[in-house]
Amino acid sequence: MTRMSRRDFLAATLAGVGSLSLPALSEPFPLRFGITPVMPDDRARFLGAWSGWLAAQLGRPVVFVERSRYREILDLLLRGQIDLAWICGYPYVQHRARLTLLAVPRFRGQPLYQSYLIVAADSPARSLMDLEGGLFAWADPDSNSGYLYPRYRIFKEGRDPDRFFRRTFFTWGHRRSVAAVAEDLADGAAVDSYVWETLARRHPEVVAATRIIERSPQFGFPPLVAGPALAVADQGPIRQVLAGQGDDTAGRELLADIDLDGFRVEGPDLYVDIARMAEALAVQGLS
Amino acid sequence: MSLPWSSYRLRLPLSLSVAALTTAICIALAVGLQTLHNLREDQVRNAVAQGHAMGEVLVQALRQDDVWSAYSLLRGPGGASSDAVWILVGSTGRIFASNYPRRYRLDQLLADALPWLPDQRAPGIAAANGQVMLADQPDVQRLLRLSLQSDGIEVGELLALLSDAPYRPRLREILIGGLLATLGVLAVVMPLGWLWGRRMVAPLVRLADCMARVGREDLRRLRCSVPAGDSEIGRLGGHFYAMVSALAKKEALEQQMIQSERLAAVGRVAAGVAHEVNNPLGGMLMAIDNYRRTRHLDQPTVQLLDLLGRALQQIQGAVSPLLVEARGDGHALTQADLEDVRTLVQPKLGKSGVALTWEVVLDAATALPAAPVRQLLLNLLLNATQAARGGGGVRVCIGTQGAALLIAIENTGEPMPPERLAHPFEPYPETRPHQTGLGLWVCYQIVTQLGGRIEVEAAGPVTRFRVRLPLLAEGLP
Repeated sequence: MTRMSRRDFLAATLAGVGSLSLPALSEPFPLRFGITPVMPDDRARFLGAWSGWLAAQLGRPVVFVERSRYREILDLLLRGQIDLAWICGYPYVQHRARLTLLAVPRFRGQPLYQSYLIVAADSPARSLMDLEGGLFAWADPDSNSGYLYPRYRIFKEGRDPDRFFRRTFFTWGHRRSVAAVAEDLADGAAVDSYVWETLARRHPEVVAATRIIERSPQFGFPPLVAGPALAVADQGPIRQVLAGQGDDTAGRELLADIDLDGFRVEGPDLYVDIARMAEALAVQGLS
Repeated sequence: MSLPWSSYRLRLPLSLSVAALTTAICIALAVGLQTLHNLREDQVRNAVAQGHAMGEVLVQALRQDDVWSAYSLLRGPGGASSDAVWILVGSTGRIFASNYPRRYRLDQLLADALPWLPDQRAPGIAAANGQVMLADQPDVQRLLRLSLQSDGIEVGELLALLSDAPYRPRLREILIGGLLATLGVLAVVMPLGWLWGRRMVAPLVRLADCMARVGREDLRRLRCSVPAGDSEIGRLGGHFYAMVSALAKKEALEQQMIQSERLAAVGRVAAGVAHEVNNPLGGMLMAIDNYRRTRHLDQPTVQLLDLLGRALQQIQGAVSPLLVEARGDGHALTQADLEDVRTLVQPKLGKSGVALTWEVVLDAATALPAAPVRQLLLNLLLNATQAARGGGGVRVCIGTQGAALLIAIENTGEPMPPERLAHPFEPYPETRPHQTGLGLWVCYQIVTQLGGRIEVEAAGPVTRFRVRLPLLAEGLP
């Protein structure tokens, strides 16, 4: 059923009970969907197509809200200005009391991803420890793969993550972190394996200037979570639509476009590792 | 034909080529340098505008420690291909961002990255904020420094290192283009220059060939096609021709003087000898005459004395022409004297079939002795008649001009042989049998003694004698 046919149907129904109807009143509230840079860049075309598909499936308009920083999306989500968002596992575990897991993307058959530690292709560094005293690019202070994990890794080596590097800065995006390393702005960076692999497939010239020197253990993939604004009643249909996207032809094409297999409903246990790392650093005042 | 390098036929086209090449290189250089100058100005203007435009965002990035946004702004859409090197420095003097992060590292001290940079705090430099300074570095020619301020406090500094490197290829293109165009022009100029050189040099070559003949050939007969005209070469040819003429004249004069001296010497010797012979001869003839008158002689003696007398008279007749005595006694020359000569010659003219044209005008008695002038005229007239015999003509013109008597006698007929013409007044007894051959020699002696000049010229069948005799100042009785 298309959006237009549904509107026609509603209009016809309301006309049948003899009441004057205005399209604005009959229009259901749009679903506000927050997007963070957990997804690869250049996604405007994809988001347009995906919002159309979701709207058709859900029977209500879907509006994507994009922000360059995880924190901004999280604020909007927690304040109820958006209904759901695709965020990183790290802010989820920090605010899991107020957030509900809706679905987790599946990447290469699993709801898991890694943090890649990358350096310039011609860099002599062989591990994170070789980057001590260098320049390091963090992705986002609310990113697991681009901030939490590398800091935890340094911390586990018995070093102070705040002093290990001579200078660090935030790029506010995994793709930018790759560029920062490729262009020698930073000696190293930690990036989302999903973003890196997607880039490697779509823009091999960008990642060609970089080299992965460490891969983290597997972590729960950045999830789609509902904020306090989304009614519990709406959560079920949304879960259903997302989980069924892989079975729909158009939905599958959209998933292929962003290199995902589909969405699956998962339990919060998937993010236990991230929560443990966050806790460990928080105890030390390093989060 | 191999030409020496000094030949103008080579030097002219080569000079043309060198001139064309030099001109083209100069023009290409001028255009190139002007272009470079304009490009530099544009570069500076753009850098200043761009620096000011980025300032606000960069201040914000510095204050928020947002390395990436500063970097992405400096890097621009073109990535690291920008003409200028941009360096953003924080208030601590450490590099915050640059569009060449490989070279200008984050957190590096600016003083380490650019050791040659003058201290920003130096008074003169702070005043030059936003001004472009010249930098004498291999890869930096100009330097722009912009102080970034927030609320009146300096939060950082933006530097633009500007270089000529992006413009060098363009400069090289202009120069190479100019050179190629010149080579094209040279392909046309070289053959033209070669032809022009040949054309210009040809008259010089002719002149040189002609000069080489001077000294080997008789100057009076030297005929060359020397260049003429107003050009330098034409003037050279003219001067050369004038020089050759002067030389020829001088040579002729020398020859004439030699001849005069020789004739004078011969004349003196001849006169001396004639005198020596004539004096005893006169004595002997007088003695024979006396002897004959005073004695009664038998027949054989009379015959012997007649024989002696005739022989002695023959000797006297032969010797007397050598005794030219122009200044003898006599009266002043009149028209009648000259008419007498005409009358004397008339029979001979008739016998030889020669037509005489007589244009003699002598108004009054002329201050010249009549006898020698009559003899002179007679000799010349006989000589002309002899040459014109058998159908020729003789023309006599006599008149006074100023203080001189002019005589011109010309005849048609057999021309004088060249060897004779070279020395016309020397005795040539052998040329005419039964004659002394002394006629012209006598003429010369008379003219010389009268202080005049005589010359002969031949043009085709016409031979002309011209005599100029100065009138005597003291006059004649």
